[in-house]
Amino acid sequence: MFETLGDWFGKIGNFWLTLLVVSAYGLLMGAFVERIMAKVQGRIGIPYSQLFINIVKTFFKRTAISHGVMFYLGPIFRIAGGVGTLAFIPVIYGSETFSNFSMSGDLFLVIYFMFFGQLGMALGAGESGHPYSAIGIARGLSQMTAYEVPFALAVISIVIQYDTLSITEIVAAQQGGWQNWTVMTNWVATLAAMLAFLGMTGHSPFDVFLAPQEIPIGPPTEFHSAYLGFLQINRALFGATKLILFMNLLFGGATSLIEMMIKTWLIYMVAIVVGVSFPRFRIDQSIRFFFKIPTLIGIMSIIYVQMVIVS
Amino acid sequence: MVSTDLTNVLLQPLGIFVLALAAGFLIPLVYKAKPTAASWVFFAGLGGMTFIAGFNLLSLVNGAATIEILTAGIVPPFSINLRYGLFEGGFVTAVNIAALLGAWHYLPTLQKHASAMLLYIIMVMGINGLVMTRDLFNLFIFIEITSIATYALIGMERSSGVLSAGFKYIIATSIASAFFLLGTTFIYYQTGTLNIDDIINHQQLIQGPVGFVATIFLLTSLIIELKPYPANGWGLDVYETTPGGIASLISVGVSAGIFFSLYKVMPLMVNFLPSIAVIGGVTFLFSNLIGLKQQNAKRLLGYSSIGQIGLLTLAMAMLYELDATAQLDLIIGGLFINHLLAKAGLFWLADLVNQKNIANWSSIAKKPSLVILFAIFISALVGLPPFPGFWAKWELVMLLSSHQSYAWIALILVGSLLEAAYLFRWFSHARNVNETAQLQIESTLWKSIPISITALLLLAAGYAMALMVDVAATELFLPLVVGIALWLVDGLNSRIKAVLMMIAVAVVGYKLTANLEGINSLFSYLLIGGGIVVSIASLYRNDSRKGFYPLLAVLLLSLATLLRSVNSLEFFFSWEIMTLSSYLLITMGNKGVKPALKYLLFSLGSAYLIFTGFAVAYSATGSILLADLGNSGQSMTLIFSLLSAGFLIKMGAFGVHVWIPGAYAEAEDDFTALLSSVVSKAGVFGLVIIAAHLGVRSEIGLDAGYILGWIGILTATFGAMMAVFQEDIKRMIAYSSMGQLGYIVAGVALMSHLGWVSALYITVNHFLFKGILFLSIAGIVFRSRERMMYKMGGLIKNMPVTFTFSMIAIIAMSGVPPLTGYGGKWMLFNALMDKGWYWIAAFAFFSSAVAFLYMFRFLHTVFLGQRKLEHTELKEAPAIMLLPQGIMIAAIMVLSAYPKLLLDPLSAAISPWLGGSLVWEGLSLQSHFGYWNAPMIMAVIGGVWMVPLILLWLITKTMKVQKVKQFNMVFSAERPSRPEHTHYAYNFFAHYDRAIGFLVKPRATVFWNATVEWSHTLAASLRIFYNGNGQTYALFILMYFIGMFVFNGGMSL
Repeated sequence: MFETLGDWFGKIGNFWLTLLVVSAYGLLMGAFVERIMAKVQGRIGIPYSQLFINIVKTFFKRTAISHGVMFYLGPIFRIAGGVGTLAFIPVIYGSETFSNFSMSGDLFLVIYFMFFGQLGMALGAGESGHPYSAIGIARGLSQMTAYEVPFALAVISIVIQYDTLSITEIVAAQQGGWQNWTVMTNWVATLAAMLAFLGMTGHSPFDVFLAPQEIPIGPPTEFHSAYLGFLQINRALFGATKLILFMNLLFGGATSLIEMMIKTWLIYMVAIVVGVSFPRFRIDQSIRFFFKIPTLIGIMSIIYVQMVIVS
Repeated sequence: MVSTDLTNVLLQPLGIFVLALAAGFLIPLVYKAKPTAASWVFFAGLGGMTFIAGFNLLSLVNGAATIEILTAGIVPPFSINLRYGLFEGGFVTAVNIAALLGAWHYLPTLQKHASAMLLYIIMVMGINGLVMTRDLFNLFIFIEITSIATYALIGMERSSGVLSAGFKYIIATSIASAFFLLGTTFIYYQTGTLNIDDIINHQQLIQGPVGFVATIFLLTSLIIELKPYPANGWGLDVYETTPGGIASLISVGVSAGIFFSLYKVMPLMVNFLPSIAVIGGVTFLFSNLIGLKQQNAKRLLGYSSIGQIGLLTLAMAMLYELDATAQLDLIIGGLFINHLLAKAGLFWLADLVNQKNIANWSSIAKKPSLVILFAIFISALVGLPPFPGFWAKWELVMLLSSHQSYAWIALILVGSLLEAAYLFRWFSHARNVNETAQLQIESTLWKSIPISITALLLLAAGYAMALMVDVAATELFLPLVVGIALWLVDGLNSRIKAVLMMIAVAVVGYKLTANLEGINSLFSYLLIGGGIVVSIASLYRNDSRKGFYPLLAVLLLSLATLLRSVNSLEFFFSWEIMTLSSYLLITMGNKGVKPALKYLLFSLGSAYLIFTGFAVAYSATGSILLADLGNSGQSMTLIFSLLSAGFLIKMGAFGVHVWIPGAYAEAEDDFTALLSSVVSKAGVFGLVIIAAHLGVRSEIGLDAGYILGWIGILTATFGAMMAVFQEDIKRMIAYSSMGQLGYIVAGVALMSHLGWVSALYITVNHFLFKGILFLSIAGIVFRSRERMMYKMGGLIKNMPVTFTFSMIAIIAMSGVPPLTGYGGKWMLFNALMDKGWYWIAAFAFFSSAVAFLYMFRFLHTVFLGQRKLEHTELKEAPAIMLLPQGIMIAAIMVLSAYPKLLLDPLSAAISPWLGGSLVWEGLSLQSHFGYWNAPMIMAVIGGVWMVPLILLWLITKTMKVQKVKQFNMVFSAERPSRPEHTHYAYNFFAHYDRAIGFLVKPRATVFWNATVEWSHTLAASLRIFYNGNGQTYALFILMYFIGMFVFNGGMSL
């Protein structure tokens, strides 16, 4: 696979390209969503370039404060988590350029690696000594264990359906028209996964661990300047990466960049529509929520795949 | 010439009586002249009796013929004759040795009266006569002699309690004697002879209603003398009130004599064997049950005595019933010698300590030699190895099992467990160093010598019995030998001892395990090698730690003998040694005594389940070889269930996990690391071994595996959930251990190649990260003197190395790539999906997500957040503690980048049991579903981690970075002043508790507490017969006779 050093460099170069494209797309989409939400609330909203400007600005802000080594490493873990997750996901089906390092591990790797950034970030935020960071993390982690349940069930259902853990193969199996997409063939699992997705994106009603609209609460409370820049990039990047993963698993993947953008944008809109329509859950409410209907749907998805699809 | 003849006569067993009577005459005379000289006469008499007994026994052992002693120059049945065969010799010698040592112990009191010495010697003579005589009427005479001597001796103490007990005693034994005389009369009426052999030869003459009544009289008499439940209140009162010197002789001497008498007439009791067995069984079970409620040390010993005699009676009846009298020597001999030495030792110890209430026995807590003696005696009584009772119980249970008498096995094991419960609870008091403030005892070396000799005799007898059964005795005893050797140098500097211990374990452990192969060999690296690595950390302590290193050596080496055991007896022996040594080590923790008891009881429960499993296997295959387990045919599922239940308890599976938090939390910090990372793996090893021999067989089918899989994954889930809500750092990690072992169980349960690879891989990984975590915690606790997490915080500044190690260990545990945990989770998930166990796979996902909660909480509340003001000066953990952690971190890193190093040997070791192999494509491991290329994952993650690191480093380098003080943060426009206000740590997951906390309410604890409560209530209600009234007791004895008559079919005559 990687016989020469040249292969490695080629791969790494390609990955940089993917990284830039996906990050830029993520930022753009973020701005777009901001504008939609502003329109809903009767405001004008930010220009499309705003998020790019923010990042440039934060990187050139003077970094004045450090709480210690782990504080310093937090954003690094965070962005490494985002970048790494993307690295293990093939973005465009059939494209060598956008296949990344998905040959090193399968869907299971992606799911577990998603924790990497969260864990590192949590530790970094912890060293800041700010109680709100810790509270946010405690809530975020708890919520994570809850949406993980329907998500895991849906993933198991999908793995049973396609008999593989390889994301590329899962996408391959969905080719040949929209009727082959998981959303059509295994709508129960899709439903469970999309409900988990709401929790995963951290939009309302599941955004109490970040509480972005009020006084700063949540892991990034103490981060600023270049640290914050990394976190902002990651927010865009990681968000887009998750969308790509869901697109691959449920909506037939993408064979071109355009297709990818359209599909992920539509998937994202689910979270936005729900977000603007529902008020925020308290954390224990959201935990209980995921353990009820979404889990039930997840359980049904496995039964469904065993009884209807496999047999 | 004359003198030689005299010597010859005196050396004959009859010389015992000659000497006793001569001493009996001389003592009062000499006493008048010179009291001290009288005690010389006394000892000369007793010593001579013992010598004669032993001398003749030796010649019998060397092949001499049974000695028949005729009196009056006429042959039996026309005269009284005595017999001195192997059994008689064994009993007499043992009783006389005990009597001699008892006299030494009791001398200060005996010396006060000539009559006391006289009575003592006559009592011993009576017991010898009981054993030796072959004449029924003569037997009655000896019963009377013994009873009266006993009564008189009891009466020497002039306290009202003793006198009243003595009175009850004489009433009870008189009634029993009357029964005996009546029985003898009727038998003589029918057979025309009093000679026991003659009666046995003509037993067809004992018939009809008269014969029946005669036998019932005889039997009831002897049974009553053996103090059967419930007609034994008088016996208990005697044990409780009389001094240990006499009580011990009653318990071991008189009972032995009566028991031997019963043995002599057993051939006449063929029709009554079931009822004798039931009497023995009921007495054994109920005495031990009632013992639970008892707080008085000597009365407790009484219950134990009566129980042991019940067990002996049961065993003898069963041996006759099952036609297995060839095993009398091993089973009855073993149980008898065990009871004799241990009980005598305990009675004398009780005298020495002189504390009525067992709670006050903490007075010996600071006397290690007494505690060791105490431990030896109660371990022997409970039937733990290496003592004779262990071997005898093993043989008995195997015998019962080969005749499918499972109900009896259950009764014996339940009774033993109950006995262990009260004896070790008593021992707990004696280990309780914290309560010793005012209590002090006068312990003289002189007085403790006979007790020590008894203990040594117990050990020797245990070794002798090991030689008699078919095991590799030398190797099995090696851990104990090493332990004793280390104990002898226990006075050295602590660090020297630690190094000596490690060298000894390494050398002997290597010797024991060098020839192993396959799974056993892999485990030997993990348990012995790993054990040594983790114990390096114990060098951080410089206090004397009396007993710690010897016990640790025993523990680690018993793991070695466990690995090399080829049959179930060796396995069980090592298992019990491991249990006992780890129990003792846990009691060394500051508050370790109470949780250690819980640990021991659960461990013994587990051991007895394993024992039963082996017994069933023996009954099915006729072999105790582990390799033959697989030939057990029909019973395979039962054997597998019993054995795996045993191992699951040891691993702390869901529902039987309640011992885990206490034991792990309260053991000494460095020992907890061993307990979790090494000792718990013994359970894994057991599970893997039985799964290899049994679980993979098609006869068992997948159902057993599936149930095991569910137990495993529920253990993982609930372990993780309970860990989330702990405040105590050690309890949290203890629950985490429980959870992680759950994955291993699930992996083994899969009975597939990949499943087992994952289980063993997780086992190795668990050893590494749990070793690191527990040692890190040991360092933290050592520095901060604090175990509550919320009382810490911000320690990363003080202990950066510990933090780094902990963080790496946590990542390795969590399953987050790229470290070792991911491989385990990936393989387990694939193996589960392969098997179609989707629901279990879903739980595996969930539990590993929940595990994140406590893992993060640990790192955050201890190392991050706000540092307490009083912790500003804390230092990093000692380097010697960090060293083993560093070694294990290196191992994690190597295995993370190149897991093939571990996976190939694992796969090769498993292949003989489960077909299949790992599929490699280059360095990428392939499964049916997916692939895992560890080196590449490591490279990619390393890459994506390094790039922003360098970037950020460059950015911040160009700017002025100011390190801020602790409270400098954006905190609602205020500046917090104290860390306590700002460190978010207590009740960290309150919201989680609110959401799903109801799932982890302590139901298991409630259940087990209720079990204890019910047992105590039951015990209390069984005590209803003991009202202390002599008349009532006499009535009970009469009613007992009537009961015997009715239940044995007297009404239909």
